[in-house]
Amino acid sequence: MSLEQPLSQQVVIPSDLCAARQVEDCIIREIESRGYDAQCVFALRLALEEAIVNAHKHGNAGDPDKRIFVSYEVNDRRVVVRVRDEGDGFCPARIPDPTVPDRVPLPSGRGIMLMRAYLDEVTFNESGNEVQLVKEKS
Amino acid sequence: MPEPSRSFHDDVFRVDVDHRGQVAVVRLAGSANMDDSAGLKEELFELIDSPVERLVLDMTELDFLGSVGLGAIIAAHLQCRHANCSVHLVGPRPKVRELLQVTRLDKVFFIHESLDQALATA
Repeated sequence: MSLEQPLSQQVVIPSDLCAARQVEDCIIREIESRGYDAQCVFALRLALEEAIVNAHKHGNAGDPDKRIFVSYEVNDRRVVVRVRDEGDGFCPARIPDPTVPDRVPLPSGRGIMLMRAYLDEVTFNESGNEVQLVKEKS
Repeated sequence: MPEPSRSFHDDVFRVDVDHRGQVAVVRLAGSANMDDSAGLKEELFELIDSPVERLVLDMTELDFLGSVGLGAIIAAHLQCRHANCSVHLVGPRPKVRELLQVTRLDKVFFIHESLDQALATA
């Protein structure tokens, strides 16, 4: 059985959630068509939402005139997505643990923890305005 | 029980509200994606202000819950604490239940297996 050709795409979208959702849907369709299971699809969708919402809300401060840069590579073994915003970045190590009892009931602040819990690799560039997400096909 | 395999794309997020006395039952169905669930927080706040004694979120048909939807539910929980009401979750599917466990929100919310159970809780 021959494997499907890898897919590699780069897109630039305005910093708004509707545009982001369309990119997210493209990536999810691609991995579904390659037979990634429901657990993988859920995990990647969750992590993508976290990365994109962080880019829009924190990196770009919700400014629709700013952009979000998304690149992704999908093959039959894994998917790699990079999400970059136009903000100054941040230091992921300084984000407090959202699972300590005092922080659990807070409405936000669990994005990085969730990405790390559901994906195989989560890495940030030096300035902290780009995250790379890796999910292996299970 | 394994979850049915469904694509998220055909799975529009739906919110239906049913008032039962001082209890508001909110059925969340489909995929609560980032743009679809953007208005959820305001909807829940309006119900809390209506006012109600209990907000019951029926998750038995909810396939996906992202950060925006999750944030809305937590914000409603915090708002309820100021309004002397409480948020109860019903029947989250395995992947949504796992999300609640990973975030430890299963320790914050009342989680019931059935709507009857949630309605019967004093």
